[in-house]
Amino acid sequence: MAAVTLSTTTNGTTGTATSVIDLEGVSIGYGSEAPPVLVDVNLSVERGSFVAIVGPSGVGKSTLLRVVAGLHTARSGGVVIHQDQRPGHRPVGLVFQDARLLPWRRVVRNVEFGLEGLPVSRDERRRRAEAALKLVRLDGYARRWPYELSGGQRQRVGIARAMAVDPDILLMDEPFGALDAITRNNLQDELRRIHQETGKTILFVTHDLEEAVHLADRIIVLGGTPARVVRDVRNSAGRDGSVFRSQVDQLRSEIADNYSI
Amino acid sequence: MKTHKKIALSALGVVVFLLMWEAVARSGIVPARLLPSPSAVPAAFLTEFRSGTWQEMVLASLSHYLVGLSLGTFLGVSFGTAAALWIKWDAFQAWVVRMLRPIPAIAWIPFAIIWFGVSEGAASFLIALTVFWINYYASYAAVRGVDKDLIELGYAFGQGGLIPRLFKIVLPGALPGILSGLRAGLGQGWMTVVAAELFGISGLGMRMMEASGLLATHIVVLYMVTIALLYGVSDFLFMQVQTRVLSWQR
Repeated sequence: MAAVTLSTTTNGTTGTATSVIDLEGVSIGYGSEAPPVLVDVNLSVERGSFVAIVGPSGVGKSTLLRVVAGLHTARSGGVVIHQDQRPGHRPVGLVFQDARLLPWRRVVRNVEFGLEGLPVSRDERRRRAEAALKLVRLDGYARRWPYELSGGQRQRVGIARAMAVDPDILLMDEPFGALDAITRNNLQDELRRIHQETGKTILFVTHDLEEAVHLADRIIVLGGTPARVVRDVRNSAGRDGSVFRSQVDQLRSEIADNYSI
Repeated sequence: MKTHKKIALSALGVVVFLLMWEAVARSGIVPARLLPSPSAVPAAFLTEFRSGTWQEMVLASLSHYLVGLSLGTFLGVSFGTAAALWIKWDAFQAWVVRMLRPIPAIAWIPFAIIWFGVSEGAASFLIALTVFWINYYASYAAVRGVDKDLIELGYAFGQGGLIPRLFKIVLPGALPGILSGLRAGLGQGWMTVVAAELFGISGLGMRMMEASGLLATHIVVLYMVTIALLYGVSDFLFMQVQTRVLSWQR
């Protein structure tokens, strides 16, 4: 059993490495008897990068993310998060597919949730929550109840909550998967902006290849049974017409080649 | 249906009920001591009120009720939540609960008297017992029903420890269910007040018993109405609080 190791670094570096997380030979399974879902995953995510993990559903993308978030324990291998030394922050901020807001808390109190366990004063907490709401363009919604928000707005609150803890890495588990196409496009653009503005490291799980190519500067393809990393692609296509298409098509065939039922 | 129309219909229902009752009582079909007429109740109230008996009985019952209700609610919610939270504790107490649950509060009267004497404590004990079980089961189900995803959210944001998990996620999430248990206990508590006082502990139940011994049925009816009103007021007040507490619900 391998839990997440937190290593504290200065200025975000250990020796020569500039990675935020390092996965070494990580295998993941459920229970102790069942065959593993994911085997031998080696992955270093560089500080400030935007990495997408793609693959067919059931391949273990979300499980991998949950391992990094500390919600699931890997069967073997090492998971290291190089944590910055600045006080009052969490190593990871997690954004779920369902916004997962606490319905009995107003928006701003939802954003404060992750800050409550940190040594942060009340005023500081409120200030950071409001800044995070501003980042996702929801200033003015602080006093609303979650039920008063649209699906897209709720997901923005979810992002604000994760950003408020000023994480070393932002983990996103198919965050736009349940939204309609227009809202999804909007939020994708917003996320790109947030990434550019804040320089946060982002690890993003999706089954939507267009989304991955549009957003990420690196794409990890998982496939096979048990799944492993089958491709690790640098991506700079963005939304640049033909480059975008060919990148998406190439990924699609990679996944098809490694697909087994 | 519009609200004022609804209220008007409800009022009409009460009036028709009272008129029919009055008509039957006056017609002489049923002897007056078997069925007092509702119009005899206000006079009974005045007599009881002037002598101070009514106030005394209401206050006595209210004190049994409040003590029993708070005790039973607090313990019921605590034990129900604990059983829902810890599988081992749940298994440990499951059969004890099954054995004790079906025993009605009235069956405990002999023990209540042996332990507490014919006293306020005995009445409060019986009320607490009734209220306990209602809250135990309501809280158990409510806590079990809390969205597991929200608990996971707690772990993801460093709020997975027992105290933050309990107070920031489990209890707020279970609150609607716990409150409906509280409300059921509120009503059941008043029913037990009467039963608990029938054997001589001062209060509404005792006064009803005395009056029926003298065949003063109009006084019995007076105290029935009194209990109905007390229940109505407590339920109304509770609903006011509940609406406020659950304002986050759609």
